[in-house]
Amino acid sequence: MNGNGNGHGKRPKLSVVGGGAWGVALATAAASAGSDVLLYSRRQHELRRGITQTDDLTSLATHARTILLAVPTTHVRDLARELGDHLDGHHVLVHGVRGLVARPTNDPAWEGDDLITISAMLREETPARRFGALGGPVLTEELAAGLPSVMVVASHYPEVIDEVRGTLGGSSLRIYTTDDLLGLEWASALVSILAIAIGFARGAGIGAGLMSAFAIRGVHEAARVGMAAGAVERTFLGLGGFGDLLAAMSQGNRPEVRLGESLARGESMESTLAKLGQRIEAVELAPRVAEFAERHKVEAPILNTVARGILARRPVDDLVQLLMTAPMSRKA
Amino acid sequence: MERPPIFHFNEQRADLQRAVVDRVIAEARDPVFLLNDAAYHEIRRLEPAGKTDEALEWRKLARMLGGLDRARATEILRDKAMWYAKDVNGNFDRRVYAFASRVLPAGMSVFLRPNVVAERHPLEILRGDAMAERIVTSGAIAHIRKLAELGTVVYVPTHLSNLDSPVFAYALQAAGLPPVTYGAGVNLFTNPVLSFFMRNLGAYRVDRRLRFELYKQVLKTYSSILIERGFHSLFFPGGTRSRSGGVERKLKLGLAGTGLEAFVRTSAQGRPRKVFFVPATINYMLTLEAETLIDDWLQEQGRARYIIEDDESTRLDRMTVLARKLVQMDESCAVRFGTPLDPFGNEVDEHGVSHDHRGRPIDPLSYVVRDGKPALDHARDAQYTRELGEVVMQHYLRDTIAMPTHVVATAAFALLRRRMPSADLFSLVRRRDEIVLPWQDMHDEIERTQRRVAELERREDIVLSSAVRGATATELLNDAERALNGYHSHAILRSREQGVALLDPKVLLYYQNRLAAHGVAWEGGIAR
Repeated sequence: MNGNGNGHGKRPKLSVVGGGAWGVALATAAASAGSDVLLYSRRQHELRRGITQTDDLTSLATHARTILLAVPTTHVRDLARELGDHLDGHHVLVHGVRGLVARPTNDPAWEGDDLITISAMLREETPARRFGALGGPVLTEELAAGLPSVMVVASHYPEVIDEVRGTLGGSSLRIYTTDDLLGLEWASALVSILAIAIGFARGAGIGAGLMSAFAIRGVHEAARVGMAAGAVERTFLGLGGFGDLLAAMSQGNRPEVRLGESLARGESMESTLAKLGQRIEAVELAPRVAEFAERHKVEAPILNTVARGILARRPVDDLVQLLMTAPMSRKA
Repeated sequence: MERPPIFHFNEQRADLQRAVVDRVIAEARDPVFLLNDAAYHEIRRLEPAGKTDEALEWRKLARMLGGLDRARATEILRDKAMWYAKDVNGNFDRRVYAFASRVLPAGMSVFLRPNVVAERHPLEILRGDAMAERIVTSGAIAHIRKLAELGTVVYVPTHLSNLDSPVFAYALQAAGLPPVTYGAGVNLFTNPVLSFFMRNLGAYRVDRRLRFELYKQVLKTYSSILIERGFHSLFFPGGTRSRSGGVERKLKLGLAGTGLEAFVRTSAQGRPRKVFFVPATINYMLTLEAETLIDDWLQEQGRARYIIEDDESTRLDRMTVLARKLVQMDESCAVRFGTPLDPFGNEVDEHGVSHDHRGRPIDPLSYVVRDGKPALDHARDAQYTRELGEVVMQHYLRDTIAMPTHVVATAAFALLRRRMPSADLFSLVRRRDEIVLPWQDMHDEIERTQRRVAELERREDIVLSSAVRGATATELLNDAERALNGYHSHAILRSREQGVALLDPKVLLYYQNRLAAHGVAWEGGIAR
């Protein structure tokens, strides 16, 4: 067995998959924390000391016991299947993917797709069993710049949490933990949808008071949806849910927020996405989540508004109206 | 084939007890705590039960605990551990096994079919052919037979009835699989009808009233050592019989988790003993205790749960009627053996090799190696076992055998709900007035249900019994009516001129629940 996460006296080792900004930021944070990092990417990067690059999955799997996945949702299944050929039961897989994947349902009474978490998908595609997820209010740029940041790691296995803390945590990255893996994964994914609503509200010129109301109601709504999937409510109200959304609100340039703002100003989806220069996974995820909520009979007016209003390009005034008149079945 | 170790059970008994006690003592971090904890719980249990002498002894012990040094405390702990080890230790009588496995089915028919006893020559009954035809076995039998020679097989079947363990023991024998040892609740040992089967078939006693750490350690260690030594084992991971009649939706696995412990321990000692978990379903056209269980389940919804001490399985007359019914019907009791799994939920092939979800071969040792060596890790292993439980539950669904009573009850309950769309569970089942469903509706709904289970079977998500596959709606209704009426304390549904009368929605709920987790029947009767 190769790889020895946090052996005494030795530098802990970590493998990272994903040459995007997020993957490089994670690799950078790990290297700053003193880890020996191997980054898998097909593009050439200029990397700081402590990070080596490879385009070979075998080396990646033998370098360290723990592998961080930082790739887009759309690629993660194919990548996991390929990576799975190089793994065995001793590996620990931790992902920082803020999405959910669709899978054809087994329910004879429903013809749509089920939404499953990335870790559930990793269970299908790899022989590994010990999974974890990253989330919380950590921002790519801040992490990459070595600014003090906070992150959440979730796993059912205490040793996975130890591995992440041992390889990634340091004086500038504080890592909180939860055993609600599914909850953190759902929270991360749903916050990315809520961030579109926040951006839209901002673009539509909504005042600070109403904005705060949307944010709080949005988080509660996301928690109800998450609970229907088996999550714990608390997870949504903490760093991994509300914390993540607050970060999105105060940070001007989160892509989802910018998308919402630009749509509120009447720009087209295509031109906005072209301007942002990247895919926004929440765009495809939102309608699936709306469908999920409907199927599980969960009221989700804000998530629905994003999916069926904002992203479907209904007129702006209608949408403010819709948000203001959404049914109020819950107490504040 | 080497004789399974269970045949040497009695020679090993003393050695086994000693091994259990040695390990419990070696791993006891705080002997005084264990004794204190045991004393506290035992005094609370024994005093109200009037066992004052035993309680007094514990009281005396508790008082002197503070002044004991570790050596003396360990000595006392050893005595106590031995006492519980002996209490747990079952009995396997080779002659009784040989006798019972031939006679068991006949034995059942003896008390189930007294009229037959009178008519036939005793030796003919002892062959047990009548019952042999009734308990149908299917599934991965040849596969499991091979694995039983490569490692220890741990069966983890669904649990509906107190008849399950004798039925399962018989099914193993009928399938040519080696016998098992299993932990049975003490209440089964005091049950006058069932105790015969429990005592001498390798069953050990599990006393659910004893909730202190020392007892749990003895029990777990006992079970682990049996698996390490190659005793094929049987656990009902649902813990108790399914109250609702539904397939288990939450598995704790509990003692079955010692299968993983045994694998890790033997691996750490350099002589890895492979452990194969076999999910299985035990399916009945009629469940012996259906009425008591569904009553208990409904009460449990109001938080009034209790351990049932007295139900249909203590009553000879009910068992007689049940047996007569089961013997009259084809495939009325069916045991299906699922695909064998390793302790990490990977499917295992006939050579004992594990494969992941994508079919890649995988060495199960890799899951438990830490710094190059296999090692126990309580938190990790508990999580592996929880995840194994989830996989086992998926297999339960896949291996459930849908029978006419399930299909017809599902159809009847669906129509009932359509008629009272806003009614909750309790108003549905407590309806006392008679509801008559029109023939055509019933007919159509049975066909619809049958189509849905057939579609599930095509996707390998369920199995249809021969009486369901290809039967007409009328045949299914007749089968169900014949089964349900006459066994339960009153008629459940009855064909009338104007349609089918539902006489007891509660029992129908029980039988429809079998198909609820499959998404075929109403889920309101199993979920909370």
